[in-house]
Amino acid sequence: MRVLVVEDEVRLANNIAEALRERCGFAVDCAEDGTDGAALTEFKHYDLLLLDLMLPGLDGLSIVRQVRRRKDMTPILILTARDQPAQVVELLNAGADDYLTKPFDLGELLARAKALIRRGKGASQPELTVGRISLNTVEQTVRCAGELIDLSPTEYRLLEYLIFRPRAIVSARELLEHLYDYNWQHHSNVIEAHISNLRKKLRAVGEETTIATLRGRGYRLEAPEQQR
Amino acid sequence: MSAAAIKTHSLSRQLIGGVLLAELLCAALFSAVAIGHEMHGRRRAFDVMLRGRADSLMGAVQDAEDPEDNVTVDPTELVLPAQDVYEVLSPSGRVLGHSPGSSAELLAELSASRADGSFNFRVGREYYRAVRFEGVRVIDREENGGYRRPVTVLYAAPTRDLWHGAVEAVQFYVLASVLLLAATGIALVWFLRRRLSPLQELAAIAGRVSTRSWEFVPPAAVLRTTELAPIALSMEELLKGLQLAFERQRRLTGDAAHELKTSIAVLKSSLQLLSMAPRTAEQYEAGLEGLLLDSERMEELVSRMLTLARLKEAPVEERESCDLPSVVREIAERLRPLAELKQVTLEISATEARAVAMPAGDAELLCSNLIVNALQHSSPNGRVSVVVQERGGIEGVVELRVTDRGDGIPASALPHVFERFFRADRSRSRASGGAGLGLSICKAIVERSGGTIHIESAVGTGTEVTVTLPARPTSAYAVSE
Repeated sequence: MRVLVVEDEVRLANNIAEALRERCGFAVDCAEDGTDGAALTEFKHYDLLLLDLMLPGLDGLSIVRQVRRRKDMTPILILTARDQPAQVVELLNAGADDYLTKPFDLGELLARAKALIRRGKGASQPELTVGRISLNTVEQTVRCAGELIDLSPTEYRLLEYLIFRPRAIVSARELLEHLYDYNWQHHSNVIEAHISNLRKKLRAVGEETTIATLRGRGYRLEAPEQQR
Repeated sequence: MSAAAIKTHSLSRQLIGGVLLAELLCAALFSAVAIGHEMHGRRRAFDVMLRGRADSLMGAVQDAEDPEDNVTVDPTELVLPAQDVYEVLSPSGRVLGHSPGSSAELLAELSASRADGSFNFRVGREYYRAVRFEGVRVIDREENGGYRRPVTVLYAAPTRDLWHGAVEAVQFYVLASVLLLAATGIALVWFLRRRLSPLQELAAIAGRVSTRSWEFVPPAAVLRTTELAPIALSMEELLKGLQLAFERQRRLTGDAAHELKTSIAVLKSSLQLLSMAPRTAEQYEAGLEGLLLDSERMEELVSRMLTLARLKEAPVEERESCDLPSVVREIAERLRPLAELKQVTLEISATEARAVAMPAGDAELLCSNLIVNALQHSSPNGRVSVVVQERGGIEGVVELRVTDRGDGIPASALPHVFERFFRADRSRSRASGGAGLGLSICKAIVERSGGTIHIESAVGTGTEVTVTLPARPTSAYAVSE
């Protein structure tokens, strides 16, 4: 998952980014002002937008309006130091999904971020299952019939992204865009290597669910018919 | 405090009461005069009537046909009202005749008068008016010219009818004035209600004003009223000013809260991030270092906010003054390390002593704020110049000018630089530790001492801040030191 943090207070932005990377395994990009932030949202790489309300350049509310005008459904979480009800109502009506007032609890921010991403992808519970595999987004663990599978952080992120969209073809480019931030050098063969490792680990525990490679098109998480 | 505690009185009720009372008094006076006048006329007519009846009584005095040639009263031929009282006396006081059927008390009262003319008396509950005169009756005119017999005639009649008649005569007027009183009372109530309605409208509109809703639009009826228009207009003016002040205050509080909450958010998130997972000693050290910096920044923010609040609250004392050039030199000396760090040349041109009406503490804060600002906006190998001089030959005004050749301020941002928490470039100012309060503090300091502050800037050329301050005679400075 990839998150955009638009916050002019650099220390705060870094803390949030660090927490999202460390605790949720998300790829995070930061923008210091509204104009840069709004420009970044246009790529539609993000699974969540985290916006400060008072920003130099373009304020959070304007970014929300811009994003929603493009029919972009990306969940938006607003950070604000002001919590007048009228302002909150205006924000939510403009298309924001949730808000947090500063100073907030970092744990709560992470939980809300995860919940918004989950809901944005149509899942209602933090635990997702395909075949015998179950992935817990809170604990960031993957189990096969109750047995823990040891995955690297990147492998976990890959599986997490795919499990939200079972049986859909996900391109390598999309995976790159949603799993890595801008500081990462884009090499699509990196994805291929991680997918191959993930396949091996799933096979090792005897799981029939696998990731199919559709040449030139992408990858697909496939569960055996009879088990679904 | 509450309105209930104060005894209120209604203006319209007082007006109506006053007018009605005046009308009532007028009507009473008018009725009294009318009754008095009527009574006077009737009394005169009564007197004439009394005299006439007495004269006819006089006619009934005749020869008694007795040896002493006395006179007597023969009432048989008299036609007089039954309630009238009369008495005819001889000079010796002997009663020659009196009205039949009159009580002894009544007759005694009547004959008590010893003077001629009209008089009043009262018996029991009945009032009488009487006339007394001396008359002469000549009897036996055929015999040697006749005998002159003087008599005293007393004649009285009850005045009850007189009073009743007068009242009846003026009754119409009294009734008319009572009706008039009622009619004008009702008309007055209606009229006052109508005329005073702008006052009530004004009160109602003024009553709706609160800190949430400042709307105060005086109705046209109020503005058309000469007495109310000035009140309404000054209230409108006052409320507009109050609303502006209130909104400014609210914005300031909001901005201050925003800054403080953001600072706290940084601190809290840093701490939470550090405690989310086990860290190495190096990570903890780095985290603590960051936290220390964060709290120092917050300390700076709070102290600046408090400085600004202090400057806005306390007025400058009359005698306080300082020598501006020496303050500038001292501050420049203190800031020299920062200038060297930024590789900026700091030029000071402030030699001659010039006292200004500003406390030394304020002057230090002003100079350090302006010079630090200029240094921070200068690029390496730049130059910041500080000049203190007498303003263009004008006696009594000292000018402080701080010029940098830095990146300048965009024209769009220039009008806002003195606003609290304004930052032309937020991310960079944050990085350099500013909270957007420096220039606000400068402005507050300068205005507190009765000076002016002005900023000119062009992107790419640099910024120049000019402060003018009222000068103080050097001797005054020496005394205060």
